[in-house]
Amino acid sequence: MNVDFTTAARVAIACWALGTLLSILGRRTPTLKPLAVVFSLGGSLVMGAFIAFYWVLLDRPPLRTLGETRLWYAALIPLVGLLVEYRWKIGWLKYYCMALAAFFLGINMLHPEVFDKTLMPALQSPWFIPHVIVYLVGYVLLAASSLSAVHNVSLQMRKKENSAGESVSHYLALLGFVLLSFGLIFGALWAKEAWGHYWTWDPKETWAFLSWLAYLGYLHAWRYKIDRAKLQWYLALSFVVLLVCWFGVNYLPSAANSVHTYSQS
Amino acid sequence: MANLPRRLFQPPWEFRESSLFTAFVVIAGFIMQYAASGKGVPQAHLPYNALFLALFAVAIISAGVAFRDNALAKWLGGIPLGLCLIFAIALLSLIGGVVPQTAVEAGSLPAMLALNQIFSSWPFALTVLLFLVNLGLSLSWKLLPFKVQNIQFILFHAGFWIALSCGIFGAPDLQRLVMKVDEGQESNIGYSMKSEAPQHLPFSIFLHDFSLEEYPPQLFLFDPGSGKPLEELSKATTLVKKGVKASWKGVTVEVLDFIPCALPGKNGTPEAADRTAGIPFAKVRISGNEAPAEGWISTGSPMLKPWAVPCGKLFLLMTPGSPKAFLSEVTVHDGVGTQTKATLEVNHPITFMGWKIYQMGYDQQSGRWSQYSLIEVIHDPWLPAVYLGFFMIMAGNILFFWNGIKQAESAS
Ligand code: HEM
Repeated sequence: MNVDFTTAARVAIACWALGTLLSILGRRTPTLKPLAVVFSLGGSLVMGAFIAFYWVLLDRPPLRTLGETRLWYAALIPLVGLLVEYRWKIGWLKYYCMALAAFFLGINMLHPEVFDKTLMPALQSPWFIPHVIVYLVGYVLLAASSLSAVHNVSLQMRKKENSAGESVSHYLALLGFVLLSFGLIFGALWAKEAWGHYWTWDPKETWAFLSWLAYLGYLHAWRYKIDRAKLQWYLALSFVVLLVCWFGVNYLPSAANSVHTYSQS
Repeated sequence: MANLPRRLFQPPWEFRESSLFTAFVVIAGFIMQYAASGKGVPQAHLPYNALFLALFAVAIISAGVAFRDNALAKWLGGIPLGLCLIFAIALLSLIGGVVPQTAVEAGSLPAMLALNQIFSSWPFALTVLLFLVNLGLSLSWKLLPFKVQNIQFILFHAGFWIALSCGIFGAPDLQRLVMKVDEGQESNIGYSMKSEAPQHLPFSIFLHDFSLEEYPPQLFLFDPGSGKPLEELSKATTLVKKGVKASWKGVTVEVLDFIPCALPGKNGTPEAADRTAGIPFAKVRISGNEAPAEGWISTGSPMLKPWAVPCGKLFLLMTPGSPKAFLSEVTVHDGVGTQTKATLEVNHPITFMGWKIYQMGYDQQSGRWSQYSLIEVIHDPWLPAVYLGFFMIMAGNILFFWNGIKQAESAS
């Protein structure tokens, strides 16, 4: 991991920083806009190339440890920001996304990891890749949804009208919920094959269920006549539950007897 | 009149009534748990649980249809109560996700309130039961009369209703037993995690052979002073292969030669041997510290001490690689003629007479030389029903995804 990662991460962060700068300048000078997109995309491309390189080096998909999954988040989250800009002409989300991606790479730079090729037997399953990818993309979308909600909350505080922003955070949460549901069920089907039972209330499973419930609650509150502006707070805070599920579980007292904490560090 | 704020319990009921009611149910659950002095909820086995569940489902659906316009029923099957119940289940799950779900001292407060087994406690059972009532009522209104446009709603909500109710009501019928089978022996005895008493199974398993494949071994430095490996050095380990170089704090180790399966030869150098007895050997050169050294190291085995090369005050050793795969060649038979020969491997269970048979473990002390295999056998008659629920939720999910895209497109 520490071989070429630092270089790749620095290049990617530099790309995102330049992309951000050019995009801000691009508000005055529109000719800079395409260049801004090129750099913002370039950062993800660099991370994508690094993941491919790392995959070959490891002889297995780099999806096992939390550090490895952070590589994917870093590559994918800015893409969601750019897609939202392309699709709904909403530009601000990508700044948050690129900052979050840089933050993830920063964590990995602070914690250089064990260079470990091994993949324990329980993980050698056709379910491994679909389960992890679906969760990964789901988390990416929900992270983007929360970022968008944070932005909406800040706009509300400055008393600005912003219904388009609310529909972006909603749509991202909806897609994220769909993927979370698939991830949860794929996980259950896999658990039946690998560990004998589809659900054992293992701490990791319990937290995955909790984060799913958080978004289930959101969707029903949204359907009901609850103030959409208030729900932005809810969406922004739901991310905390996701974060616990994703990094925090390993540090909870209940984790000592989890079968799923192989993904330390 | 229209502008007066609604008073508590003045119809139509909404969030305040729902949260009060939910809180009441959860607290009542904890009180019942305490009164039952830590004992769990009574459990019913087949066919009684299935009968009860069927009656419950019919009762909910009929009540929903009969009291469609009743304000109380509307509240009982409405989103405000649903949200409060989701919150309550989340809260109880939160307890289960933070408090270790392991045995604690009997009679202590966590044990009396079942905080350490929250998912089989009274508060959890009551909340889930009420949740099923709430979900079932909302379902009954969309189910009858049937409309095609409600299909997404039905798939999600009925799927979840089925998966949750069958998972929970069916839990007492789940049998999970562990068998320890010695190589060249046969067994039909399993042990459950809950009781010491052996149970006889309707079939026997004969173990022809247990085998384990390892990843390449890893280098590590051992400190005889503390009797432990040096953590921060060991963390930098690479898998041992010919030509691999590793450096830690000024010490460089180069692997000059590597033999995955070898035994010490007559003149003291390792010679290639067959897989059953051979262990990995590596010839290494240490340079960079005060005393450069060269020599053979090995992982050791139950028959052979590990070989080490001194490195300053420390020793360089190899640890066996982590297991890559382990499998049992078995024959399963029911004693009256049906039999199957199979290979059991992690992630590849087999099915025999309605039982799923899993490779579970082995004698970890002996690793590759384990003389027995631990095999888990599981019988879960409710599984098809739970899976039906899962597949319905997934189908609903696909529709939801699809409609979500369409809605977003028409909105923009
Ligand atoms: C607690 C009991 C529940 C009640 C009372 C309830 C009730 C409802 C109602 C009334 C709607 C609106 C339907 C419409 O307007 O057509 C709805 C939507 C929905 N429900 Fe539930 N539900 C419950 C639990 C669940 C569960 C457990 C799931 C997931 C498996 C779920 C998934 C959904 C989805 C995905 C929607 C669509 C949301 C949207 O269109 O934005 N619900 N629910």
